Amino acid sequence: MRYICIILLTLFNITKTDQDLYTCKNARITLFSKALIEDIKATTSTGVSVFNAETGELNFSALISAFQFEKAFMQQHFNSDYMESDKFPRAIFKGKMQEHIDLTRDGIYPVSVVGELTVHGVTQKRTIQGSVTIRNGIISMASEFMVKCADHHIDIPQILFYHIAESIKVTVSATYNPYKNIP
Amino acid sequence: MAQKTSTTDSLFNSMNNDGSKGPITVFESPRFILTQSTETIKKNNLNVLVIHRFGDAAGNLGGGKTFFGLDAVADVYIGFEYGLTNDLNIDIGRSTIPTVGGLVSAQLKYAVLHQTSDGSSPLAISVLGQTGVRPYNTYSSFSDRMSYFAQAIFARKFSHSFAFQVAPSILYDNLPNPNVPGNENTIFSLSATARLKVTKLMSVVVDYAHPFSSFRNNNAGFSDPLGLGIQVVTGGHVFTLNVTNSRAVSEMNYLSNTASDFGRGQYRLGFTISRMFDFNHKEKYNPK
Repeated sequence: MRYICIILLTLFNITKTDQDLYTCKNARITLFSKALIEDIKATTSTGVSVFNAETGELNFSALISAFQFEKAFMQQHFNSDYMESDKFPRAIFKGKMQEHIDLTRDGIYPVSVVGELTVHGVTQKRTIQGSVTIRNGIISMASEFMVKCADHHIDIPQILFYHIAESIKVTVSATYNPYKNIP
Repeated sequence: MAQKTSTTDSLFNSMNNDGSKGPITVFESPRFILTQSTETIKKNNLNVLVIHRFGDAAGNLGGGKTFFGLDAVADVYIGFEYGLTNDLNIDIGRSTIPTVGGLVSAQLKYAVLHQTSDGSSPLAISVLGQTGVRPYNTYSSFSDRMSYFAQAIFARKFSHSFAFQVAPSILYDNLPNPNVPGNENTIFSLSATARLKVTKLMSVVVDYAHPFSSFRNNNAGFSDPLGLGIQVVTGGHVFTLNVTNSRAVSEMNYLSNTASDFGRGQYRLGFTISRMFDFNHKEKYNPK
């Protein structure tokens, strides 16, 4: 009986720990660059995110080569000349949400996340504003922020016909599922 | 608390493990100076090419009287390359090369294997097959106008700036070129190309081909085509400025009949202009 109690308690404990973890494997991340000749836009729906509701930890990652452009050669330049995605395959954000959100109450909560953004192998401390939406217990997040190419040592060659802007607008939206640990 | 942090991070890391092993672009353009690269044009893209070789810069035909070859034209190739799929291209082109009656060629090129960033595939491999017909001059039968060419290209990107390829090939002329006694119909060749990026958009290219032919070894006057050039990639355009002893642009002409030599001043300026058109319409652009 004592053992069953311990086992039950352990199980309960594990379940409780896991309930704080939420994951998203299909975060939609869009890059937008205002340019002289043609606006450049790229999208991926394969962004990965983990949210720990108890600690407020919020991590994001995007595979650079997964961004789809309208034109194949733009995608090629983006990967080989700007982002050097064979050397730096992922962009990663690791942060901590400053607000504590009651996940049981529906609503839209503005939040700020303080953390480190690593793009092109260069890490910058960032505070990123966004919003958390709770609807029927389902968590989704949205954010829009600017990334300066110079902050991440991304050179813009002057000879290119398709210039990208000095700052790129990044839009992120993610809907989370509770993480179920199946051992 | 510390345990929780590692839970979040380890879960995050485990989710990031897969997916970062996609194919990499080995070269910026499907053509160098002489040889074609392993790269293919992507689906629904059209690459329009103009490849120009001027006349001899020095030697008997060059010098001041032709403004170092700029007044003479050795060969002009106008070509279209279209991506049927991301890996399969159809190419159609026309060479001036008047001495053998011009050349119209059609080609299929297929990317068999891509080099991947995780090293699971260390090489990029493409194969191509080409048929050429000579529209002008007098030939005794139509089949004498035909040539066939097949090549396998093996390339590897060794670092961010350096890439190298070798390309064995076989050329078959129904009528030997030049059409003299003893010349072979079939020529095996090996091409080698090195590309070194000097800036993000500019690279230096060395392109060389050697035909294995006893006729060409035993008869004076033939030399191996060699090209040195600078390639500039500018988003949709590729410009190549080069110096080569080869008068012809097409493999069918320069492998069989390069009788011009650097040592005799028979080298020339050449350039390639290519412009990419993308027919993937924005309405169809719908990434999953």
